[in-house]
Amino acid sequence: MSIILDQTTRILVQGITGSEGRFWTKHMLDYGSKVVAGVTPGKEGETVEGIPVYNSVRRAVDEHTIEASILFVPPRFAKDALFEALSCGIKKVVILCEGIPLHDTLQMRKAAITEQAIVIGANTSGLISTGKAMMGFFPYWIERVYRPGRIGIMTRSGSLTNEITAQVVKAGFGTSTLVGIGGDAVPMSRFAEILPLFEQDPETDAVVIIGELGGTMEEEAAEIIKDGQFTKPAVAFLGGRTAPKGKKMGHAGAIITAGKGTVEDKIKAFTDAGVLVADRPRMVGELLQSVLQPRN
Amino acid sequence: MKLFEHQAKELFRDLGIPVPEGKLISQPLDLKSDEIKLPCVVKAQVLQGGRGKAGLIQMAATYEEALQKAQQIFNSKANVSKILIEEALPITQELYLAITVDPVSGQAMIMASSQGGVDIEEIARDHPELIVKEYVDLSLGLFPYQARNVMYQLGLDQPLVKQGVTILTKLYELFRSYEAELVEVNPLVISKDRLVALDGKITLDDNALYRHKRYTLSREYFESDAQYEAALEGIPYLEFDGAIGLMCAGAGLTNTVYDLVHYYGGTVASYLEFGGPNYHKAVKAMQIILKRKPKVILIVTFGTIARADVMAQGVVEAIQQLKPDIPIVTAIRGTGEDEAWNILTQAGLEVVTDTEEAVQKAVQLAGGRTE
Repeated sequence: MSIILDQTTRILVQGITGSEGRFWTKHMLDYGSKVVAGVTPGKEGETVEGIPVYNSVRRAVDEHTIEASILFVPPRFAKDALFEALSCGIKKVVILCEGIPLHDTLQMRKAAITEQAIVIGANTSGLISTGKAMMGFFPYWIERVYRPGRIGIMTRSGSLTNEITAQVVKAGFGTSTLVGIGGDAVPMSRFAEILPLFEQDPETDAVVIIGELGGTMEEEAAEIIKDGQFTKPAVAFLGGRTAPKGKKMGHAGAIITAGKGTVEDKIKAFTDAGVLVADRPRMVGELLQSVLQPRN
Repeated sequence: MKLFEHQAKELFRDLGIPVPEGKLISQPLDLKSDEIKLPCVVKAQVLQGGRGKAGLIQMAATYEEALQKAQQIFNSKANVSKILIEEALPITQELYLAITVDPVSGQAMIMASSQGGVDIEEIARDHPELIVKEYVDLSLGLFPYQARNVMYQLGLDQPLVKQGVTILTKLYELFRSYEAELVEVNPLVISKDRLVALDGKITLDDNALYRHKRYTLSREYFESDAQYEAALEGIPYLEFDGAIGLMCAGAGLTNTVYDLVHYYGGTVASYLEFGGPNYHKAVKAMQIILKRKPKVILIVTFGTIARADVMAQGVVEAIQQLKPDIPIVTAIRGTGEDEAWNILTQAGLEVVTDTEEAVQKAVQLAGGRTE
């Protein structure tokens, strides 16, 4: 097992005929992901990598059983694309693009909650169940980063994920599923909502949380760990320990405002909940070794 | 994008939210004696917070004093290009009123307090029980009962509740129609039985600016040419006072490198990301980095779409074009890294593959521990 996604999950690609959509559809297929259909308005009848293209999600679900959709659309069309997928009953969606207008993201998050859908992103590399399937763009060919194993990973940052995951692998572990929560101010899914899925997954022994300054996601995760909703070992790494207040540190969500969002608070919350916090990227592997024997 | 106070108040006035009478000037000569009500407040139009403490807000009792204070502010080091001169109102009470976003529920969040006039941070710390919150579903909009609830909880009298409801309703309209990240009135004051917005802060969502042509990025919103240039290129860029120029990729990794530089006792001159859609902009990125005159440039990347070989090639081109006479440390990894390392080695650059090793090297080259 793994969470949310495996090689049997039937995937739709919205925006499949664009250059990114085409390129990553090929990689998703090569990796073992079960892409069954694509959508681009006006391109019905075409194929991409042998996958049929439809004018609408409605048309695609009429012809195929679809469980999940990945959006390769520009930020200004993301809201429309998500609502289209949800309107057709798709309950798992991955949104990759960076730069969706903030008010759009609010309405999207609200809709995801109402529809009880698992929406991942935006501003992320996506979701990968290592060795099985991916929805997104991960350099899975770099073996020192993407090795199958039993560590679940949740992250707010793509580049940092490569850095930290390389440390996990170096310490003799691999990953079960890696969930890119993303760097937006309003992510569609939050750490605390993904943790219970890892708790239930028998193939995940521990979780690595890659967080950063800004927002309260880390504190919420600490809260549910304290509540006993997640009982496996957890290790965290947090970027932005020394960041100044009030400056947006790259990501839209990476900002300390109104006294909230400091890494100091997050470290305290995690420590209180028994989460091991790594001071530096290198220590993630050591901390994992302190609670688990490498086994793949 | 943060708007200046006078821009926020212009929007308030357009919608009928009461603001003090005032006059915007670009030089003291612009101020005529019959144009202001006395006493008055002389307010520098800058985007940084803490204007009062920095001496950028001053009281004046006479026209001459207002002129003198304005001159003093224009002459200060704060780089002030506009000053707002407003009538000073008698104040009975200072309130706080703001609308922002709640990422957890995916709704707008109204925050109000009967203890305004100080940072919301301070109110949250000293009087968390005095912060009133109300959540608004964007698809339903703000209901009148919600606005009334906020005002009743602030403890206002009935006539003021009515005014408050009108003001909050209009602020919400502003929040939605301009797609703001934040609309804040602090303080909202009670002055002679009237609610007046004494200050105004509006932050617009950069991602939605394309739908709001009224505001475009221009030099006046930035503290330096380099910041403006970077914003036009869509390159995330921040300035600090230290020695090492960070030219990295990805917010999380750049923040981590920023932390590690401090961990190893170094200091940061600038924070720049040339990953994501900017990974072919190494030349532009290095041009911007060099403006802070750093002692060392530290390049750390670990990209997927941002190909390592393309970034390495860009870095080599940037060095050839710009000929920086300072050391450059690189840890460029990710898709195409073998090719990247070839390119860097051929150009005579040392290849580092570990982030922390690269940071330690850069700190050492910049003069070692500074603490």
